[in-house]
Amino acid sequence: MSILNVFIVEVRMLGWELKRYLFNTGAMVVVMYIIFLGMFWGAKSIAGAGINQSSLDSMVIGYVLWMSAMFSLQGTGSVVLSESQRGTLEQIYLSPYGADIIFFFKAVTNTLFNFVILTLMLYLTMLTTGRVLSVNLLYFYLILFVSVLSLNGIGFMLGGVGLIHKRIGAVNGILSFGLIGLMLLRVYPLTSFSFLPFIAGAHTINAHIVHGTSFPLWWYLFVIGNSLFYLFIGLAIFRLFEKKAKRLNKMGQY
Amino acid sequence: MNNSIISVSNLIKSYKDIVAVDGISFNAYKGEILGILGPNGSGKTTTLKSILGLILFDSGDIHVSGMDVKKDHLKILRNTGAVLEGARNIYWHLSPEENLKYFAGLRGLSHSYIKERMNTLLHELELADVRKKEIREFSKGMKQKVALACAFIHDPDILLLDEPTLGLDVEISRVMRNWLKEVVQKSGKSILVTSHDMDFIESVCDRVLIIKEGRILSHETLQSLKMKFSIKVFNLDIATNPDQDSIRRIEELGELTVENTDNSCRLIILLKNAMLIYDLLEILRSANLEITDFSTVESDLEDIFLNVIKDEPE
Repeated sequence: MSILNVFIVEVRMLGWELKRYLFNTGAMVVVMYIIFLGMFWGAKSIAGAGINQSSLDSMVIGYVLWMSAMFSLQGTGSVVLSESQRGTLEQIYLSPYGADIIFFFKAVTNTLFNFVILTLMLYLTMLTTGRVLSVNLLYFYLILFVSVLSLNGIGFMLGGVGLIHKRIGAVNGILSFGLIGLMLLRVYPLTSFSFLPFIAGAHTINAHIVHGTSFPLWWYLFVIGNSLFYLFIGLAIFRLFEKKAKRLNKMGQY
Repeated sequence: MNNSIISVSNLIKSYKDIVAVDGISFNAYKGEILGILGPNGSGKTTTLKSILGLILFDSGDIHVSGMDVKKDHLKILRNTGAVLEGARNIYWHLSPEENLKYFAGLRGLSHSYIKERMNTLLHELELADVRKKEIREFSKGMKQKVALACAFIHDPDILLLDEPTLGLDVEISRVMRNWLKEVVQKSGKSILVTSHDMDFIESVCDRVLIIKEGRILSHETLQSLKMKFSIKVFNLDIATNPDQDSIRRIEELGELTVENTDNSCRLIILLKNAMLIYDLLEILRSANLEITDFSTVESDLEDIFLNVIKDEPE
């Protein structure tokens, strides 16, 4: 029983859902495309022809970072709630893999899907506008993937709260928009803000890609450690809430 | 018991001040269908969910296939399936095929096994023609059948069903009960089922557990349950009206209703105990009352269930 099975089946589930909700998927792609176009042309019209390449890059990168962060943050929490609403949550809990493994792979699948869509949007926009962003995509997504693991951890915490309280939309909203402000903070070299989830990774991507800043190895290790710390703390807290939900018989209720 | 596949011992679960399950103990054996009957809030679902590890119980022990639920919960799930919320246990925006593939994936089954097993289940449950249709369009009974197929995709030895026929029409209920009986007879599976549907329980279960307020009131085979708790109603037509003294003596044996006609009389007697029929006959003989017709009314499981529940002191 390889846990790779869970990843494969979650990818297939995502495929079935995209196919079933084809209109919704198409509308999402179109809306994101319009937003990207708006950013290119909007920035140009507001700042005039003088807008430099790095400002535009920074804006686009910031948007992609924020979108990815939002999706990851809301991932597990919204999955727990939607499974609970549908009545399928208990069936997830009947898998011998364990529900946390399934929720983790659901989050990873969604994160990877969002990366694909965002990349597609980036290239489509570059094609449309004729402007080329100087982005090292491999570096970008590698750091981003590691960084959003910390937000998956926060997502697990929210998912745990959702098991008991069932409604966490307000908390999700506050955290998502709070991230915008936090992402603007300078966190290198170490400040107290560096220890917040995701922020160190987001700063690394922005500074490296837009301003060409180089970071020492210890900083990358710090980013990885930060992410893993929040992921495991999130999982531990999720398990505590899960135990409480099982004690209170809240699993099947919505 | 060594040959029991599920062993529940002194299970206790309470929510704040409410005791949901109060020291329940029972065994379920290989190759049998064990029914759990009880009024709403009697602890049926809590018991099932405790066996599945979905509820953490306060005290007691549960062993499934010899494994402790508290320690080996995930191992137990490899060989256990369950339908707990009926039609809501599946994804309505997917097709039966997609649901089966998804839940099979969550069980770690191989692609070739899934294909073969899925085809078997879809045919046996008469879902083959709608395998690619969106479940949202299905009737409740059809959805319930898909949920059952999903719970059975990994061919578990143990199946737990919570109210599987709730809200189903007669035909689908029939398909389901036949299928469950066949599964147990053919491959020796064990099924634990809770239901309010007495006909369903009576037609599929080998043994029945009756619980009320978290305690077991009766734990018998259907046959011995009927013998023990069956209500005996006797209809006796007699040629002449009985005198007041005879009526008083008969009333001491049970509940009596007298229906008079022009030239005969029908006594409808619900005896406290079937053995009292001999006393009744003696009263009629000593009063020289001639019996012209005699019949009994058999009680069904619903009567027995109500009788057991009623007899239990509050």
